[in-house]
Amino acid sequence: MLRRDFLGFSGVALAAMLHKDGYTVGAAEGRAPNGKPHFTPQAKSVIWLFMNGGVSHMETFDPKPMLTKYAGKSINETPFQDVQNPEKLKLARVTVVNDANGQQRNKLYPLQVGFKKYGQSGIEVSDWLPHTGACIDDLAVIRSTWTTDDNHGAQTQFHTGRHMLDGEYPTLGAWVHYGLGSLNENLPQFISMGNREYWNLKDGHYLGPAHDAVPVRVDPANPLDFGKPELPVSASEQKLGFELSGKLNKLRATEYPNDPALDARIKSYELAFRMQKSLPEVLDFTKETEETKKLYGMDRNETKSFGMQLLAARRLVERGVRFIQIQHGAGGAGVWDAHGGLKANHAANCLAVDKPIGGLLTDLKRSGLLKDTIVVFATEFGRTPGTQGSDGRDHHIYGFSVWMAGGGIKGGLVHGATDEIGFHAVEDRHYVTDVHATILNQLGLDSRKLEIPGRKRLDIDHGTAIKAILG
Amino acid sequence: MPASPAGFRPLRLFSFSLMLLIGASGRAATPIDYAKEIRPLFQERCYSCHGALAQKAKLRVDSGAFLMKGGVLVPGKPDESEILARVSAEDEDTRMPPEGHPLKPEQIAKLKRWIEEGAKVPADDAPEPDPRDHWSFRPVQRPPVPTVANPAIAIRNPIDAFVAAKWQEKDLKPVGPAERRVLLRRVYLDLVGLPPTTAQMEAFLQDNRPDAYEQVVEQLLASPQYGERWGRHFLDIWRYSDWWGLGAELRNSQKHLWHWRDWAVESFNANLGYDEMMRQMIAADELYPTEPEKLRATGYLARPYFLFNRTTWLDEVVEHTTKGFLGMTFNCSKCHDHKYDPVSQVNYYQFRAIFEPYQVRTDLIPGEADIKKAGLPRAFDCNLDAKTPFHIRGDERNADTNRVITPGLPAFLAPRGLSIEPVKLPSAAFEPLRRPEIAATLLRQTELKWARALLEHASREERARGRSKIIEWALVGPSGNALAAARFELKQIEAAIADPGKAAVSLRGAIKSAESNVETAESRSRQFPATSTGRRTALARWLSDRENPLTARVAVNHLWLRHFGNPLVSTVFEFGRKGTLPTHPELLNWLAAEFMDHQWSFKHLHRLMVTSSVYRLSSSNLNAVESTQRDPENRYLWRMNPQRLQAQAIRDSLLHLAGELDLTRGGPPIAMAQQENSRRRAMYFFHSHNEHNKLLDVFDNANVLDCYRRTESIVPQQALALWNSKLALEMAGKINDQLHTRHKDADDARFVTAAFELVLGTPPTSNELATCEEALIDLRAALPKLNEPQKTQRARLQVILALINHNDFITVR
Repeated sequence: MLRRDFLGFSGVALAAMLHKDGYTVGAAEGRAPNGKPHFTPQAKSVIWLFMNGGVSHMETFDPKPMLTKYAGKSINETPFQDVQNPEKLKLARVTVVNDANGQQRNKLYPLQVGFKKYGQSGIEVSDWLPHTGACIDDLAVIRSTWTTDDNHGAQTQFHTGRHMLDGEYPTLGAWVHYGLGSLNENLPQFISMGNREYWNLKDGHYLGPAHDAVPVRVDPANPLDFGKPELPVSASEQKLGFELSGKLNKLRATEYPNDPALDARIKSYELAFRMQKSLPEVLDFTKETEETKKLYGMDRNETKSFGMQLLAARRLVERGVRFIQIQHGAGGAGVWDAHGGLKANHAANCLAVDKPIGGLLTDLKRSGLLKDTIVVFATEFGRTPGTQGSDGRDHHIYGFSVWMAGGGIKGGLVHGATDEIGFHAVEDRHYVTDVHATILNQLGLDSRKLEIPGRKRLDIDHGTAIKAILG
Repeated sequence: MPASPAGFRPLRLFSFSLMLLIGASGRAATPIDYAKEIRPLFQERCYSCHGALAQKAKLRVDSGAFLMKGGVLVPGKPDESEILARVSAEDEDTRMPPEGHPLKPEQIAKLKRWIEEGAKVPADDAPEPDPRDHWSFRPVQRPPVPTVANPAIAIRNPIDAFVAAKWQEKDLKPVGPAERRVLLRRVYLDLVGLPPTTAQMEAFLQDNRPDAYEQVVEQLLASPQYGERWGRHFLDIWRYSDWWGLGAELRNSQKHLWHWRDWAVESFNANLGYDEMMRQMIAADELYPTEPEKLRATGYLARPYFLFNRTTWLDEVVEHTTKGFLGMTFNCSKCHDHKYDPVSQVNYYQFRAIFEPYQVRTDLIPGEADIKKAGLPRAFDCNLDAKTPFHIRGDERNADTNRVITPGLPAFLAPRGLSIEPVKLPSAAFEPLRRPEIAATLLRQTELKWARALLEHASREERARGRSKIIEWALVGPSGNALAAARFELKQIEAAIADPGKAAVSLRGAIKSAESNVETAESRSRQFPATSTGRRTALARWLSDRENPLTARVAVNHLWLRHFGNPLVSTVFEFGRKGTLPTHPELLNWLAAEFMDHQWSFKHLHRLMVTSSVYRLSSSNLNAVESTQRDPENRYLWRMNPQRLQAQAIRDSLLHLAGELDLTRGGPPIAMAQQENSRRRAMYFFHSHNEHNKLLDVFDNANVLDCYRRTESIVPQQALALWNSKLALEMAGKINDQLHTRHKDADDARFVTAAFELVLGTPPTSNELATCEEALIDLRAALPKLNEPQKTQRARLQVILALINHNDFITVR
């Protein structure tokens, strides 16, 4: 049964409940959602894998032999010179004049890796990603995503639809959390893991902090902030204390009856107490078999850290957590940001994520969870077909790849395309919010019905579901 | 906003097709109701261009008469009605409305049927009112105070009369007054952000003077903690933030911005008028160019500094100056004319033009020549001729070069416009070296360098010969790099002081923050101008003018929100036509007039509000069944609203009750790493977009980008923070120890009573007491390894923790 989770009694939700917030007074649209999908959902949960820094689409999911053929040539010496037609470059918004990065790179850089066909679909995947390749028949590869900002503020943009400079907007996970009820009253429903220090740590923004992801570390001993007493207190003492606090709060209701804030607080304490116990249990992998741990690459140093996060993600999904947001790659603006030494950079980063991702997909599939769970592989932008310095690629917004799997998404298919050198998305172009719309669609949510009065969203903020990849 | 409530669309489509079916079979359907089905559609999609605000193509559609007059509608003949053709056109260039989605097929069908049915409108149909007549755009006039026959409360001041009159009008009965203990805790937390100590509570309970409460109010308003509490409230609205960027690179706000924070605290404590506060924040550099104490206020303009993009920077200035001071959303007119208020897109850029010339610089603070260590960030007019662009559809890449934008305000708000007079600055303002204390600071620093180099250079032998010999030796002029450099620098400084107009950038006594990441060397080294445009002074004067219809109303509303837990106008930054109407319009007007007529004194308003009878009501709705039914949201204040405490107040209260709070005021912010162990008030913590305290965040600390009203969330992380954080555990321990010291050998009942009184302000009820006593039995049993008295003391720690985690500890009842 769906339950409206207690995390939701806050911010806009509470205000709407009390009819306190100005914009909600008298506006039926302003009421907090009831936690039920707007139409029959195809999926229950989302595992959102985000590669910080910008993954080269050409060295992962969108091979371009022409780059090798014309390697070293300036774009205007090739048959593809029209890609730099100023009209076509217009969608770029320059926020930082004379930025060292985010420039046009004219000299074509050859592919740094080979490709092989995988699965029955025969889709080509980079030799750096054999385990992902092995799951290709479950993946819908979208080769025609685009964005507008040539700097890493595009990370925020991929999560909210808006660049940092446009202000702060709720992330996709926050919308899902706002719109859907809880499937497990012992766990927070929106969890983030990994590194997101470059962009803002918040998700809820105008939906309120109740819709921020709860940051979790894959460490059963210390999984979340304030997750255990910071000075010695025994579990039995604390339990009695917690119980006492619950009783005292309830007794106040005789003097202050019908106080929704008091009721919500009592419930939030109960959840806190359960969460404190249940989260370490989820993150304790002792009951997982060695085979499973290996499947996620937990037996190798290169893959261990991401593998643990993905195994945690599976365990969270299993227990009904709605949205798990995992950012891969710390340092600077993200570890994938290969302005130089692309080959070594991407080989190492692919190695770190490939085995765990293959393991996650395999594990979800064999346990039957994949049909209810959407897995997304995304990044803020691709990288330039041209070379930066001697061996790097710069940020590239005009066309790049993401993929989605599970939760009613068709596998073994390629949707959209970039031109012959991977410059512009030319077929079935999708702004980043189309990915959001697709996910919301599978979860049974209509983003227009979630809108907050006074916070008008534009069509481009909502995006359009990519129907072609839906089963 | 789409008018359809969630979930109804399929049903509607169904009934629409059903309607067609009925229509086809010739049976009569219910006629379309203009007021319910057509007018709201026009209102949402058409009025902004074809209504009272604008009449594009000379067409208005906001009344039946206007529609007929415009000739776009022929009753009974949809095919001849242009309006229908235009809304259903395939071609985007002819289709209306030009922005947003086309009308939905069912909306078009309804419109068509309404025309077919004769386009009937009700007899009382009237065009929408002139936006200029909107309540908040009309001048503030002091309304008469109503006389209330047989009021339910003592009418202590006009607030009570206005509120009681509403109760009678709405047939509401107020609850009784709050207990004295509850009231005292309320007013303490409200005015100073700290709860009363046990001694303060006892003194109040024993004070039988009729004005005991008023005496407390006066004491609190006079205490320096008042300025911290209310300064912080307004720093929320003014978006205070310490600097941030990427790593060490400053990109937003400014270093040393705390000077502005201290100015706010001091100004509230000194009861500086709000009119003067605004003048100082927006234009102190023009009005008081040589008074550093007042220049601190322009930190307000140093705050939105942004290294990379001037448009983003000024967009923030426009958005938050209009929202914060005027309750207007000028930001909505950046890309197109405002859809609700008579603010055109040109007005937006005219408002921006007021700020176009300004930049930010940091002046030296006497005594410290290193700008990294100290300095005063402030605004000044730098580029007097800077042109303001007009961005077509708000797109920075697409400026209309033919348009000349001059500073100005929308005429409906400022009929006399802005009277801008350029300000000739005294030389000490644009050549800080002319200030003797600045010259001395630079000179002294260089002299010190020189002396240090000298000493280093002198040989041991020379040193042995004594000081006078060294000087003698120095005068002979030994060589040496450091010494030569120091001597050169000293000469430069002396030259600079003699002729400040020619001083090098680093020797001017003030450093301009880079205007952008691509600023040229030429622009960087330009001298500061000797005049200022006076644009911001003109704006500040208009904002603080008695005739300004918005400023006082908006400020009064912010005050009311924080005292009563709910504002009179719930859209606190939106007083335009999109905003909500005030619950008590006359009261709001009366308070605004009273505010302005008392030199814009906040303390005067605080006094009125907290000494009113309404403020003293209980927040319980016990036995108030009828009022609860009639006004469940308590819009008419028949009881007090309970409020969740703000993050800072929760943390400070904990420290205060534990006797640990350090009330030192002002100064540089406390660095992140020192915060956990700091005993200072939380408002002094470093707080920026990138760096914010984890514990305060859990309780909805101010968002530095936008915080007109703190969120009051209830999330499980709050429980974890108050149960598990080192701070909570440590303070609970200290409170426990303190109570044991104060109540030696107390039994559980006495201990629990004292703990309740200290932490929650009220003694326990008999049920609460019994519950605690039972819990203590269990707790002792859970501690078999301890002996008395340690066992009891340890068990009671959980009682303290439970009270810290009590809803009514973080709530103001």
